[in-house]
This record gives sequence, structure tokens and C-alpha cells, in this order.
Amino acid sequence: MGMTCDRVRELASGFVLGALDASEMIAVSDHLDSCSKPHPELEDFGGVLPYLAESLDPVEPPAWLRESVIAAAKADLTSRHRVGMPLALPAVAAAAPTALDQVTAPAAGVVSIHTARSSRRRRALTWATRIAAAAAVVVLAGYALVLQGDLDKAKKVQADNAKLNYMWAQPDTLKAVLTASDGSGASGMAALRPTGSIIVNLYGLAPTKGDEVYMVWLTPDNATPIKVGSLTVDDLGNGTLVVDNVPTSSSLWLFVCREPNGKVTRPTGPTVLSGTFSL
Amino acid sequence: MRQVAAGEIGGLETLYDRYHAMAYALALRITTETGLAEDVVQDSFLGVWRNADRYAEAKGSVRGWLLAIVRHRAIDAMRRQRAGVALGEEVDEVLPTALTLPDIWPEVAGRLDAEQVRHALTVLPPAQREVIELAYFEGLTQREIADRTHAPLGTVKSRMRLGLVALREQIVGRGAGPDGMTMLPAKSKKGQA
Repeated sequence: MGMTCDRVRELASGFVLGALDASEMIAVSDHLDSCSKPHPELEDFGGVLPYLAESLDPVEPPAWLRESVIAAAKADLTSRHRVGMPLALPAVAAAAPTALDQVTAPAAGVVSIHTARSSRRRRALTWATRIAAAAAVVVLAGYALVLQGDLDKAKKVQADNAKLNYMWAQPDTLKAVLTASDGSGASGMAALRPTGSIIVNLYGLAPTKGDEVYMVWLTPDNATPIKVGSLTVDDLGNGTLVVDNVPTSSSLWLFVCREPNGKVTRPTGPTVLSGTFSL
Repeated sequence: MRQVAAGEIGGLETLYDRYHAMAYALALRITTETGLAEDVVQDSFLGVWRNADRYAEAKGSVRGWLLAIVRHRAIDAMRRQRAGVALGEEVDEVLPTALTLPDIWPEVAGRLDAEQVRHALTVLPPAQREVIELAYFEGLTQREIADRTHAPLGTVKSRMRLGLVALREQIVGRGAGPDGMTMLPAKSKKGQA
């Protein structure tokens, strides 16, 4: 590529901000990997970046986020124990670009350098090696996807439960335990904040088919049902709906119907779960 | 971080309690959506949790490492959102590892607050500040910034360079010790202190 130390110095400010074109990002990164000379300009410029974030006033996220993060980490930990993985995950060589790549390049820049390098290295492989490598990658990737898929689902359920648990624990939250009238064994919980935020967690529902959805409705004191929103469930029958700006009222009744699609404007399908809100 | 790397939840709780507001502020500034920012923060802390063994204390602060991850994830989330790809559909887990271009001068950091850093930014010429902010907070390339600001590419490059030089001088100057001495770190190859 013909990248020189002088050229790297010229590009240093754009490089640390990840603002160069992908080809330049790669060329600079490659040069740094192989260059024995010091490049203090990267430190000079790169060290400024964290201070840009410091210019922002701290903003407090919702309190449930902490519980959600910790719950997801616990789920991750449990998953690692289950599959016998080490607590500290080893970096996979192909997915671990040099530290310099990762810190200095921006999101897209990092990935593009990484991807471009991977593809360049792949071209150097012989066909036989490629076939063997591909077979191994497919097997490993498939296994990893299965594990990751399970883990992601577990994390999502944990995070949804954490969010609901937090809202449920607030003294001014309206709470409803949803039960099935058809003896299906499905269940659910809903929490409605005075701000109009509602979270509905459903468990053990039958999977939907095609355009079918589970539609959540609210009925304030014999009034016309209000459509809260629709959701589908995962292969375990679990699903979550979070909606803001729901009208709040006392004595709200919540029910869930299985509907042919999400466009219905009034309940048409069978009620699968229902419950009444109370403090 | 050692606790986090050892899989101790308490370590993650401590980390979260210390940095969550700063992480959320950065994620919110980049994504401008509370829901997306929450996802980014959760994703970032989990990234730290899973990759804590890659963190090298000697090469930079946890804060700088975490913020680099948050920025990375937030810009990535924005690009994925524009492309219609969900945050969870990650193909590759690429995280900033050990911080080799660290937050310079941790001693300086201790003397600075947000207002002082903001002031350092405001004294930059607006055109220089704009290109730095577009690159850092929006993840735009120099070429994209040139398109956005209708400025020649060469001008954008020049503004970015001059702006970072000036900002660095501002920050170092404000973080200087009472004797007026600046606290530049020893320079070394590839920023490794």
C-alpha cells in the first residue's frame, strides 16, 4: 500500500477518530503493525478522545437497567458454567484484532479493517486448507450459534424479568397476575406505572402461526377495550411487551387474545390470559 | 476489573455503579433514543463482563476502556438501526481491548470536570469543534463530514487535526499542576505507555 511513517502522521487525527476511509484505516493499521518506529502522534491525539465523553453531563439511566445488566451477567455466568467454559472468555484469534485497531478505529472502521484483513488472509489459503477450515468453521460456528442462541434467549428473559421485577416492586405500580381460563397452564404478569409505562410478561403460551399474534388489551371500568400492543412468543412460549403512554385508570382489566394478525381494532380471538390491576 | 475477569458479579456491580451515568450519557448523546441507549449500555457492560480478561490496567483506565466500548456500540447501533438490523444480531464481537491509546494523563483527569472539558471544547474554533464532534459523536468519516458540512475534504482533514491539537493543549493546560507543569506522558511506540 506504500504507507509511510510521514503519511501515518498526516492521517493520525482521522485515524484515532476512526474517520478515515476504510482503505486508509486498513493501510494505517497495517503500517502500525509492521513499523518499528515510534508513532507518538497516535497517543497525542488518541488520548484526547475520552475527554470528549467527559464533556457530557452524567445522565442517570432507569433504575431497572442495573438489575437488567446484572441479571444478564448472571445468566451469562450460568451458561458458561453449564457448557464448561472458562469464566474469562479467551479471545478468539480471528475475532481479536490488535488492540490498536480496536481502540483507535470507530465501530465501522474496526469491523471493516478486521473483515478486510480476514478476507485477505483467507485468499492466502490453499483450496485444501480452505475446505478443511470451512468444515471446521461450520461445525464450530453452528455449535457457537446454538449456544449463543440459547444464551441470548436466557439473557432476554432474565432482562425482561428484571425490568418487570423492578416495576413490580415500586409501591405505586399497578400489578396484575394473569391467569388462563382454559387451563392451558399459561401465565403472565403485568406492571403499569403511573407514568403510563406498562410491561407485560407472558409465559407458556402456544406458539403463533403465520401472521398470528397475541394482542394485549386494557379495559378501564366497562369501557371499550384499548389496544396496548401485540407480541409473539419464543419457542418456549415466552414473550414480553413494553409500551409507554398507556392511559392509566383505576380498576383496569387486562386481557390477552390470540388474534389472526396485528391489525385488528377490537378483540376477535379467544382470550388466553386475563387479570385485574391492583396496587 | 480483576473481580470482573474472575466472574464475580460484585465486581460488575461496582463497575456499573461507578460509571453507568457517564456511559448512559455518552450512549444517549450518540443514539438520541433512550431505548437504544439503554440497550447500548447493557450491551457495553456485558461486553466488559465477557471480555474483562482483555483489559490491561497498565495501558489505560477502565473508564476510558468502557467509554470506548460504549462509543463503539452506540455508533454501531445507530448504523445497524439505519440499515434495519437489530442490535442483538451481532455477527462479530469486536471490542476495544487493552487501551493502548489511553485517556492521556490520568493525573490531568482528576483535575478536570465536565464543565472544564466543555470549556476546552468551546474555545475551539466552531468549525474545528464541529468536525471533531461529528466524528466522535456521530461516527462520520472525514468524507462524510465534508459532504455534511459542504467543506472541501482537505479542509475537513485540516480542521480535525488542528482541532485535536488545540483540544489537547487546552486539556493539558487545564490539568496542569499548580506549578504550571504539564503532565504529558512519556511517548512511546504506538501509544503504549
